[in-house]
Amino acid sequence: MSVQSMFRRLRGSVRTSAFEQDMDAELHHHLELETDALIARGMTPEAARDAARRRFGSVALVKDDCRESWGMRAIDTLTQDLRFALRNLRTYPSYTAIVLLTLALGIGANTAIFSVVHAVLLRPLPYANGDRLVEIRQQSPKIGVANQGVSVKEIADYGAQTAALDAVVEYHQMSFNMLGRGEASRVQTGVVSANFFDVLGVTPILGRTFREDDDSKNAPAVLILSNAYWKNALGGDPNVIGRTFELNDRLHTVVGVLPSIPQFPASDPPDDVYMPPSACPFRSNPQTIASRTGRMLTAIGRLRPGTTLERAQNDLNVVTGRLGAEYPEAYDVAHTGFQATALSVHDQLTQQARPTLLVLLATTGFVLLLVSANIANLALARVIGRERELALRSALGAGRGRIARQLLTESTLLAVTGGALGLLVGWLVRDLLVAFTARFTPRADEIAINGVVLAFTFGVSVFTGLLFGLLPAFTRRSDASVKDAGQRTVGSRRLGARNALIVAQVAISFVLLVGAGLLVHSFIKLQQVDAGFRTDRVVTGLVSLDFVKYDTAVTRRAFYKSVLDKVSAEPGVDSAAFGITAPLDQAAPFLNGFIVEGHAPVDRRAQPQVDFKFASPNYFKTIGMTLLSGRAFTDADDAGAPPVAIVNLSMARHNFPDIDAVGRRISFDSGHTWLTIVGIVNDAHDYGMAEKPTDELYRSLAQTGPLSASLLVRTAADPGSFSRRMPALVHDVDVRQPVSQIRTLEAIRSRSLAPPRLTALLVTLFAAVALIVTAAGIAGVVSFSVNQRTTEIGVRMALGAPRSSVVRMIVRQGLTPVTIGLACGLGGALLLTRASARLLFAVEPTDPITYAAVITLLAAVAALACLAPARRAAAIDPMQALRAD
Amino acid sequence: MKHAKSDLLQGTLDLLILRTLASGDMHGWGISQRLQQISQDVLQVNQGSLYPALYRLEQQGWIESSWGDSENNRRAKFYALTRSGRKQLAEETASWERITAAVARVLQHA
Repeated sequence: MSVQSMFRRLRGSVRTSAFEQDMDAELHHHLELETDALIARGMTPEAARDAARRRFGSVALVKDDCRESWGMRAIDTLTQDLRFALRNLRTYPSYTAIVLLTLALGIGANTAIFSVVHAVLLRPLPYANGDRLVEIRQQSPKIGVANQGVSVKEIADYGAQTAALDAVVEYHQMSFNMLGRGEASRVQTGVVSANFFDVLGVTPILGRTFREDDDSKNAPAVLILSNAYWKNALGGDPNVIGRTFELNDRLHTVVGVLPSIPQFPASDPPDDVYMPPSACPFRSNPQTIASRTGRMLTAIGRLRPGTTLERAQNDLNVVTGRLGAEYPEAYDVAHTGFQATALSVHDQLTQQARPTLLVLLATTGFVLLLVSANIANLALARVIGRERELALRSALGAGRGRIARQLLTESTLLAVTGGALGLLVGWLVRDLLVAFTARFTPRADEIAINGVVLAFTFGVSVFTGLLFGLLPAFTRRSDASVKDAGQRTVGSRRLGARNALIVAQVAISFVLLVGAGLLVHSFIKLQQVDAGFRTDRVVTGLVSLDFVKYDTAVTRRAFYKSVLDKVSAEPGVDSAAFGITAPLDQAAPFLNGFIVEGHAPVDRRAQPQVDFKFASPNYFKTIGMTLLSGRAFTDADDAGAPPVAIVNLSMARHNFPDIDAVGRRISFDSGHTWLTIVGIVNDAHDYGMAEKPTDELYRSLAQTGPLSASLLVRTAADPGSFSRRMPALVHDVDVRQPVSQIRTLEAIRSRSLAPPRLTALLVTLFAAVALIVTAAGIAGVVSFSVNQRTTEIGVRMALGAPRSSVVRMIVRQGLTPVTIGLACGLGGALLLTRASARLLFAVEPTDPITYAAVITLLAAVAALACLAPARRAAAIDPMQALRAD
Repeated sequence: MKHAKSDLLQGTLDLLILRTLASGDMHGWGISQRLQQISQDVLQVNQGSLYPALYRLEQQGWIESSWGDSENNRRAKFYALTRSGRKQLAEETASWERITAAVARVLQHA
């Protein structure tokens, strides 16, 4: 068909009434001319009119043919089909409601999960240069350091010596006290190169980014605000540019506000404000700048346009090779295996979410398949009910294709309506999804129902409609006649099709249930892990001291001591302590190499590593850790006393396998100072319940004096009410000292377990839906077969078959497709659940307990679903059954 | 496009319409009169069946229509042959002649 004729057709269909008027006029004109001609030949006007009509033939028929020639028929048929479908669906409201509800669930789940997958995995990062950004990560694999940070000097080297990168910028996070807005508050501060936002491709929504001249000790101090901080803390003040805040004893002027974008490098808590390097007292310290090993920064490079990650990696290899040769004392490549790796920022932001999202996407896809199978089954049952009607329409001349098209129109109408409802479901659960996704990736805020998601939902809907519409349309017997359409013998082929659908449903349910079972089992295992500390009734809050005011270890120790005295004296407090952070709240261990007194000297970079912590005397008591041998810290372990340390069991076993660690001495500074181990505590899962405990060493708080520490308080009763009093108690010691991140340990633990819990919950929810839908499907098919066989069952019972054997027969036949489905599902599950291995903890994807439980559950549910119709069969009165029909 | 009934009859009617229009623009009734006249009343088509054929030919792009005044000052729809219609007429005439010649030979010699 040419484009022109298509256009003509389209025009014809749009301007239907114009077409009809033209046609009427033309045919009328013909009849008039013919009548005139006949009158001219001598006929009376009346006879002429009749003769003209006779010669013309049926006007209605001609019009019909003309319309068909013009291509109107297709459109007419569609409207007809749609009208008919609507009428039909209105006649069966319960069928329509069930189908729409399950479709809304199935399509809604797919829409929701796809909107997450699209936002997180498929869309480019919302930075102009997002796809060109790489993180340069320095590693020392031989001594087990996966991310050792980057120094100022190294950033400069990478920037100057890599051809594949056109810029390398730095980032690190500090936390400063901000004054001048009522109560002193803690702000997380991203300290970034002046060109950081320009390299990332971020345009501020207000003001400007940093300029080179902002990054100088003498320049006026400036701040850029994150979007969330601007909105939440400053109420989205449109006149915020030029406002000043006091940080680090200097007045900082706000020069810009960032758009709402995922933060990279991601941090927890996220950055509130940004400042250039010269404004950070640590980063601008001449020692930091001069030190090649003062590795406190994250390095982000931007690929030159058209360059690949591989080229950047090659360049990095060349640079690290050169650095290793030039500064052997800083790298010692032979011992450390020092290297630099280029990692795609996009992957960094999304890799944690990827396995979970893919598993969820597969899950919802399966749910939709199952829903389709179930609706196909319902539709089949209904087509059988409509056999008489369809046969009648066949007999009246409706072609087989026409009837199939009618059925497809109906299913597509249902599916598209279901899709619209599904869209509503997807939209309703958006906030939940954002909260869920935020546990995995900073991109959660980008989740939206946009054009791509709409197109996906529409596509899925139409596909689903075809899926469940095609089967009933094409399993229709072509030879069905009006005569036997009502007979119960019709539809054996349908029963076959319906049993095949049951096989599919059982198999899909099996896979989903196994997936859910594995995740639940894994989560149970995770919960059974002994954390090594007690989370009940403990509140924690972070105290980061103002380093200008508390500039010596002495003043800091005094502050901590006063706070502890104050808090311990409070009624309702069992014990209080300071530690480096709350357990489970720190992302990674802080590893340090050490030497053991009496051991052969080892090169610095081959030294054993230990996670370095500190604790006040009541620390272990407060968080419920057990002292296995030796003693805990006391108030006597202060700056004047010999340095002491407490290690955990792993550290003791690894370094002192044959002897008691208590009393042994170790050193972190090549033997200048020696720490005596005075006690051993149990291992604790400080970095996640799924992580193996690391080797840990605690120093006495009174012998260190850190700039920030976590206050931990065990309360006698409700920890919640104490959390509200915590800031006031600290303010009693120093009114300008904020306390941030006040939470209960239980909340921290729950948060750390949230990703596996939520994933297991979601998949279980989907699997439960699958199980219910499948059970309903089985019950439907079995009762359909009972209805069909009423007469046969009547005959059997009349001939003396006991009711129990009838029940057995029906259940056995109902369970045959279930058994086949179980076998298929078993194979499928063994094949597919391997993909979920990354989400599992201490459970194999082939976990026999889960498989056994799922088989038992499915078989039991299927048997139950068969039982009700089977008992109905047994209740058949043989005489009535025989008289029926 | 539906060609299910494109047997000899329909094809023939199409050819005759195209040939008739080759001698000038005409409205539907005119075409029917002309066909009857020239075929000396041998080809008695049901006049109505002319119109679906006209609509189909217009869809194919072989003829085009426009409204104008007819001889007795009535509004009438006139049909005219398009360029591709002329080409089609030439092709169909050639193939018609081949077929009739073949049929004639069979009738004479078989």
